[in-house]
Amino acid sequence: MEQKKYWKGLEELHNTASHQEAVANEFRDELPFEESESLLNATTPRRDFLKYLGFTTAAATIAASCEIPVKKAIPYVNKPEDITPGVPNLYASTYVQDGEFVPVVVKTREGRPIKIEGNDLSTVTGGSTTARVQGSVLGLYDVARLRFPAINSKPGNKDGLQEQGFAEIDKAILAALAGKTAVLLTSTITSPSTKKVIGEFLAKYPGSRHVTYDTVSYAGMILANEASYGKRALPSYHFENAKVVVNFGADFLGTWLNPAEFTKQFGETRKINQAKPEMSKHFAFESTMSLTGANADERYTHRPSELGAVVLNLYAALGGAVSAPAISDARLKEGIAKAAKAIKENQGKTLVVAGSNDVNIQIIVNAINNLAGANGTTIDWNTTANYRQGIDSDMVKLVEDMNAGTVGALLVYGANPVYDYFDAAKFKAGLAKVATTISFNDRYDETTELVKYIVPAHHYLESWGDVEAKSGYYSFIQPTIAPLFKTRAFEQSLLTWTSNPTVWEDYLKSAWIAKLGSQEAWDKALQDGVIEPATAPALGGATFSGNVADAAAKIPTKKGGELELVLYEKVAIGNGKEANNPWLQEMPDPITRSTWDNYALISNTLAKKLNSRVLGDDYEIHAEKKVLKIKANGKEVELPLLILPGIHKEVIAIAVGYGRGKKENIGKAAGEVGQNAYPFVSFNGTTFDYFSTSATAEDAGKMYPIGLTQTHNSYEGRPIVKETTLEEFIKNPKEVNADREALEHYGKDFRRDATLYRDQHTNLGIKWGMSIDLNTCFGCGACTIACQAENNVSVVGKEQVVLAHEMHWLRIDRYFSGDENNPEVVFQPMLCQHCDNAPCENVCPVAATNHSSEGINQMAYNRCIGTRYCANNCPYKVRRFNWRDWNGADSFEGNLHDTGDMNDDLTRMVLNPDVVVRARGTMEKCSFCVQRLQDAKLAAKKAGHPMKDGAAKTACQQACSADAIVFGNVNDKDSAIYKLRNELQTDRLYYVLEETHVLPSINYLAKIRNKDAAPKAEAHGHGAEAHKEAAHH
Amino acid sequence: MHLKYESTLREPLVDGVKDYHQVTEDIIAPIEAKPGKLWYVGFAISIVLLLFGVFSVTWEVYYGTGVWNLNKTIGWGWDITNFVWWVGIGHAGTLISAILMLFRQGWRTGVNRAAEAMTIFAVMCAGQFPIFHMGRVWMAFFVLPYPNTRGPLWVNFNSPLLWDVFAISTYFTVSLLFWYSGLIPDFATVRDRAKTKLRKLLYGVASFGWTGSTKHWQRHEALSLVLAGLSTPLVLSVHTIVSFDFATSVIPGWHTTIFPPYFVAGAIFSGFAMVQTLLIICRKIMGLEDYITMGHIEAMNKVIVLTGSIVGVAYLTELFMAWYGGNPYEFDTFYKFRAAGPLGWSYWIMMSCNVISPQVFWFRKMRRNIAVTFVMSIIVNIGMWFERFVIICTSLYRDYLPSSWSYYRPSWPELGFYIGTFGLFFTCFFLFSKYFPVIAVAEIKSILKVSGESYKNKMVALEESSIEKFEHDAHHH
Repeated sequence: MEQKKYWKGLEELHNTASHQEAVANEFRDELPFEESESLLNATTPRRDFLKYLGFTTAAATIAASCEIPVKKAIPYVNKPEDITPGVPNLYASTYVQDGEFVPVVVKTREGRPIKIEGNDLSTVTGGSTTARVQGSVLGLYDVARLRFPAINSKPGNKDGLQEQGFAEIDKAILAALAGKTAVLLTSTITSPSTKKVIGEFLAKYPGSRHVTYDTVSYAGMILANEASYGKRALPSYHFENAKVVVNFGADFLGTWLNPAEFTKQFGETRKINQAKPEMSKHFAFESTMSLTGANADERYTHRPSELGAVVLNLYAALGGAVSAPAISDARLKEGIAKAAKAIKENQGKTLVVAGSNDVNIQIIVNAINNLAGANGTTIDWNTTANYRQGIDSDMVKLVEDMNAGTVGALLVYGANPVYDYFDAAKFKAGLAKVATTISFNDRYDETTELVKYIVPAHHYLESWGDVEAKSGYYSFIQPTIAPLFKTRAFEQSLLTWTSNPTVWEDYLKSAWIAKLGSQEAWDKALQDGVIEPATAPALGGATFSGNVADAAAKIPTKKGGELELVLYEKVAIGNGKEANNPWLQEMPDPITRSTWDNYALISNTLAKKLNSRVLGDDYEIHAEKKVLKIKANGKEVELPLLILPGIHKEVIAIAVGYGRGKKENIGKAAGEVGQNAYPFVSFNGTTFDYFSTSATAEDAGKMYPIGLTQTHNSYEGRPIVKETTLEEFIKNPKEVNADREALEHYGKDFRRDATLYRDQHTNLGIKWGMSIDLNTCFGCGACTIACQAENNVSVVGKEQVVLAHEMHWLRIDRYFSGDENNPEVVFQPMLCQHCDNAPCENVCPVAATNHSSEGINQMAYNRCIGTRYCANNCPYKVRRFNWRDWNGADSFEGNLHDTGDMNDDLTRMVLNPDVVVRARGTMEKCSFCVQRLQDAKLAAKKAGHPMKDGAAKTACQQACSADAIVFGNVNDKDSAIYKLRNELQTDRLYYVLEETHVLPSINYLAKIRNKDAAPKAEAHGHGAEAHKEAAHH
Repeated sequence: MHLKYESTLREPLVDGVKDYHQVTEDIIAPIEAKPGKLWYVGFAISIVLLLFGVFSVTWEVYYGTGVWNLNKTIGWGWDITNFVWWVGIGHAGTLISAILMLFRQGWRTGVNRAAEAMTIFAVMCAGQFPIFHMGRVWMAFFVLPYPNTRGPLWVNFNSPLLWDVFAISTYFTVSLLFWYSGLIPDFATVRDRAKTKLRKLLYGVASFGWTGSTKHWQRHEALSLVLAGLSTPLVLSVHTIVSFDFATSVIPGWHTTIFPPYFVAGAIFSGFAMVQTLLIICRKIMGLEDYITMGHIEAMNKVIVLTGSIVGVAYLTELFMAWYGGNPYEFDTFYKFRAAGPLGWSYWIMMSCNVISPQVFWFRKMRRNIAVTFVMSIIVNIGMWFERFVIICTSLYRDYLPSSWSYYRPSWPELGFYIGTFGLFFTCFFLFSKYFPVIAVAEIKSILKVSGESYKNKMVALEESSIEKFEHDAHHH
């Protein structure tokens, strides 16, 4: 065989002399690092010695000092078809919690859900979200979740859980259930398929029943609707059609029924069209100040015991034939008259809602709505809502049955009566008498602690399901991640125990394919997340047939004691089921700006009576508040007081949802935080009452610190907030910005001219800008949590909030103005203003914060050395410093400051991989979600067209239910932000602290109140002036 | 009465009959002897304080700046207050050595060495604060404009904090050189007197082979003059630049053009007060009353009352401008949150310590009273500390947006850090007083030719001669 010669170059082919030499001396230079005679005898061994020394010292130093922990990142061997690292997948799903429902889109990265957005395809919520929806993704990674089915051998002690396989526990449960009458105790279930499964299960065990128990009950409304219209249901409300909203303590923007939906609707009526300004008028009558009340145009306070009288008076004022008790408070009386007048003038364009759980009061409210022509216009009976279904007496009866020993088995799903039932002791006693007790709850909560068998259900992000929140409006739940733990769908458990071999997923799927007709239709439904009637059904009324006289007679007229008590839900924590969520615990309450606690809200007058510090410097600078011992209904709790301007003078308000069990059972964030207020609930024979007409408060002789993120309540008349009334705005649209006109005195181009560095920041391509409408910002805080989720904003814990070390990039400033007892409220979202002449930028010694060519004030975290000069020099105080190691991003061992398990490997799965976590000692702040902007630009670039307006959305903008935030490229003449600034909203537009010439990129739109001019004139009077002074602090 | 060579107005710069040898004995002897009991006690206390400071700072570096009670609104508190305070104290030394030297003020020779030492130590203390107030102190070298491999990544020359880095380091370097060059002849004196080998060796090294030749003296004088010329603008520039940290900002209460002169006056004010505190103790303990005379003390008290009044005028000007300027934010800062409000007490401590109490020095009796001077020097330093606290904290705690208003009290590591710098300062000062000549021997000797009893004694013959003869001699020499 002929030997072929391969050659690499001509010199090899010809085998030149130089080539031969090169081959011979392939490693030509002897390395000198060899112990040889030549080295030892070399003329310059000193140099080599120094080389050795230098190298070994450096090597030893590196080897000794830089111990870098090995973190294994295992790449895919075979890339999954639908996962591209770095590219998010979006899945439509539905957030459901106790009947509240929000269709969502879940963003997953590398298989991990990391962010929740509203689903725009839903006509019910229209893409809106709430803080709790935004925070629910963190709930998936809650380390306190139960991780396996178990038998609870030591009640109350989580260590006593005996892990079981599903087969074993099913066998045990089937044996335990055999021949028993079971009661299935759940919170409201809106899923038709789940209900079908429940029905099959109940059929299997004859005599069994399903009891729906809503922690915060709406039974009063449901029963009143039955009495008034013959429908045991809730109607659909249409705030968007209402010119007048009269609200009796229904916190529909915060916690009432389905706030995401109502915020969207109500927001529609608060948008101002500059060319033709009009907006709805919102009257609020309430005892404490709710988020909704804070957003009212006219707000009046009353004692909880007076609610019946107030409602009856309004009914009477509208011409209802009823003898209403007299009301002594002149202001309140005037308010009722005004509301009545407004309703009369807006027949058919009015909506009256009430938060009361009293059947009779709700009947009167129905009667008022009937007189106001709301049925069929703002209240729709064609499409009913399934938001809440619990009937309180069912629950009371169940507890009695349990105590009587007639309940053979109790299965608890999504309910936690040991914690939130008003007579928890009785429930516990009854539970002990039930032979077979099973819980499906996600954690070892107060009720689960006491049951025998625990079969934890999935988190909704791991589940399959469907939701019919309103009749005919369906949405779907699909898993976005494989179950993290050995949990099983509640429905699957029931199917198994019904001896139905079908897998829940197939059960659901086959039902829907049968209904929709094809697999493709089902796929489409899952993809869209919702199925809605092709054309929205016409609104339908209902004939009112309630017995008003009877209801009026039954309304208790008992006069309240010296003080009265109301219970309320906080926007972030709600009824307490999702309380173990550090984001939500640390979210400042929209009204009080407090975090991590509940407290007794009282008026300044009452605080004075109780010898507490009253509103003023002293109160502001001390986080420690006096602890009160509060007694009502024979129960007592000790809670710190917090002064709330706008609460009724003789009312104490306490938030429910706190005072959960032990930290090791409930979780580190919610466990043992605050006090449980549910024991103050009472049962009036038909429904639960969430107030007490007689309460006492006394000094407990202790102090307790409260973590407030804002201590000063007044904006001191500074032009940082601008507001006017609708009437005046129509009369003289320019007046609200009169001070801006004065700036024109410096020339037309004063913004550009008033600087030495005139052309420093001219943005030729994109220039990002944001607009925030104070009129449609209701302060709900969804944006704060959205920002936290999107940008990996750290949680600091209560002690650090007390030190004012919280990290929120976006906060909502809440200011009171006017009279201390009847203040007006304004909410102002405050975030980095991305100033074009940013004072933070020029003071950084290392240029760690600088300006992008697109007008973004950006941070280079790696460059930051933490002098905090930038934060000092920020007029908006929006920069946040990493005071401690919140997230293990520095290399000191053992200095991690973690509250609420935010640094567990599991919890850290929620981190957005597009955003770096910041090390201790660095400054951070809003980046305008630069990662989203880059993403949108790249997408446009790949698609080969200029970026479209709306392609880039910030997290806060997307989360806002009322679309108060508009964001975009101000250089793009077709963009919404350009049009808003230059055409649509020129009259209300202003910049905060414009006079400092920092040239902010965020503008605000002045707030407009639809209130009568008359009280305003009064406010100039002497007396009101004095009040104003008092409320300034 | 000696009329020809002794002024009735100018008192002698050195008291007592001193010849050159006596001067050397008085000043160098303490270096050669074992220090007294008090010295050991004081030194031990200083070391303990220093160690506590080291502990506090370590704690802060390890657990993060969050162990201080600073917050989202108040980014600087005791840290920068203490920084400015120490830098201010460091002003008197250079003023005495440089400016007074250029103006040929003979009285400076008695106090300049200690004052310069104080400057060096005070600047060392001051420097700790901007370093350790950083969140990531291990990255502190980022503030230096050094060539790097991070692309064209440069420091931000617009930032006053960067100017501070240059100003303070330059000031420290020049002050150190000035101080050390003055020490060289004195070290040589110690070396020449040394009886132990070790002392001879160490002071020999420290004196750089000084022989006292004419050439050495000539160069020494030239160097002193050059350094004095270099230092003079620094006296003005350092605190001017420190004031820029505030003056160039947008925060009401900081954003003020009056700051540079106001800060410089305040610095000299506090610097002299600190010199008084230290020298009154030194002269007593080390028996240096003859060298640090009542005349010195009075002269410095005059500077104190002058600069104190300048500072007072500055305060009033600020108040006036806050009203006259028509800026509502500035008005509120001064009238509602400085002169009143939760931190208002600090403003009134500042006012009474800095403006009102130094007015006692208009009276000669008070200026020449040791006890009053000592108490006043302490009061002035307390007042000047509060001035910096007022400027920094009462401006920050309630600025533009009321939603962010906050309050501030220091935590133990902040206190510990401050106490620790006292430890550092006094540790250095005790070592200085033991091992260094606390008074410039060579310079004192230079004034013996023109002042003091022995000088007068030499003049007795001349005084007694007739006026005609004196005039004749004077014209023919």
